[in-house]
Amino acid sequence: MSRVPLRIAAALAGALALAGAVAADAPARASIIIDGTRYDPATLTVKRGARVAFVNKDPFPHTVTAPGKFDSKEIGAGKTWTYTAAKAGRFDYICTLHPNMKGTLIVE
Amino acid sequence: MKNTALILATAAFTTGLAFAQAPNDAQIAHIVVTANQVDIDAGKLAEKQGSTAEVKAFGKQMVTDHSGVNKQATELAKKLGVKPEDNPTSQSLKKGGEENMANLKKLKGKEFDKAYVDHEVAYHQAVLDAIDKTLVPDAKNAELKALIVKVRPAFEAHLQHAKMLQSKL
Repeated sequence: MSRVPLRIAAALAGALALAGAVAADAPARASIIIDGTRYDPATLTVKRGARVAFVNKDPFPHTVTAPGKFDSKEIGAGKTWTYTAAKAGRFDYICTLHPNMKGTLIVE
Repeated sequence: MKNTALILATAAFTTGLAFAQAPNDAQIAHIVVTANQVDIDAGKLAEKQGSTAEVKAFGKQMVTDHSGVNKQATELAKKLGVKPEDNPTSQSLKKGGEENMANLKKLKGKEFDKAYVDHEVAYHQAVLDAIDKTLVPDAKNAELKALIVKVRPAFEAHLQHAKMLQSKL
């Protein structure tokens, strides 16, 4: 093996170690897509501290509302609202504008 | 009143459809845009003339949601190179919308709220029936069909919301 690939290998190993360290410390991220007046996935389980992005792909506003727990207010067409799941528990939420839209966020 | 509104709204969709052959994609695109526009116009009136915060808010949401759908439908038609084509169903919808507006403009307070909400219940029911029986089965282009399928749950939500308002009036 020549010296150059060794250095690359060392750099790669370092980068991987760094990435591993960052991933262990960073809160998990997850996305819920709002499309066709539905939450997808309708039920999502995340670790406490996770950042959950609700991405509205519909051409009109929606909300993500768990009464008394959290409320996105109106998320406009094409906009994203991110919720940090600070508390553990099971949270059933709806869209106040289209109450037939239902979702559940489980925070472990 | 409720029944009259339902008959009129249903008639608007079926007059053009029942006796004619299946609409083509250009006509379906025109029906979608017209059906949304009719509800946008009524919603704008309800925002101004509704007597309760709930009725005004519902009118405002109809303007927002149906405008969003129309923007998307118009962009899709453009992308597909489909020029929306006027047809008897669109004409009937437009006429029905104008008659509803003329009737609503004469009303005030609770009378307006009731007539507007009754019509919204009947209209959304008629739109859902048209989606299920005509627009989705007859749409040839997959993207046009997908757009109609995708907006259906929002119209279902509007119907439920309007029924909830109706039960309080």
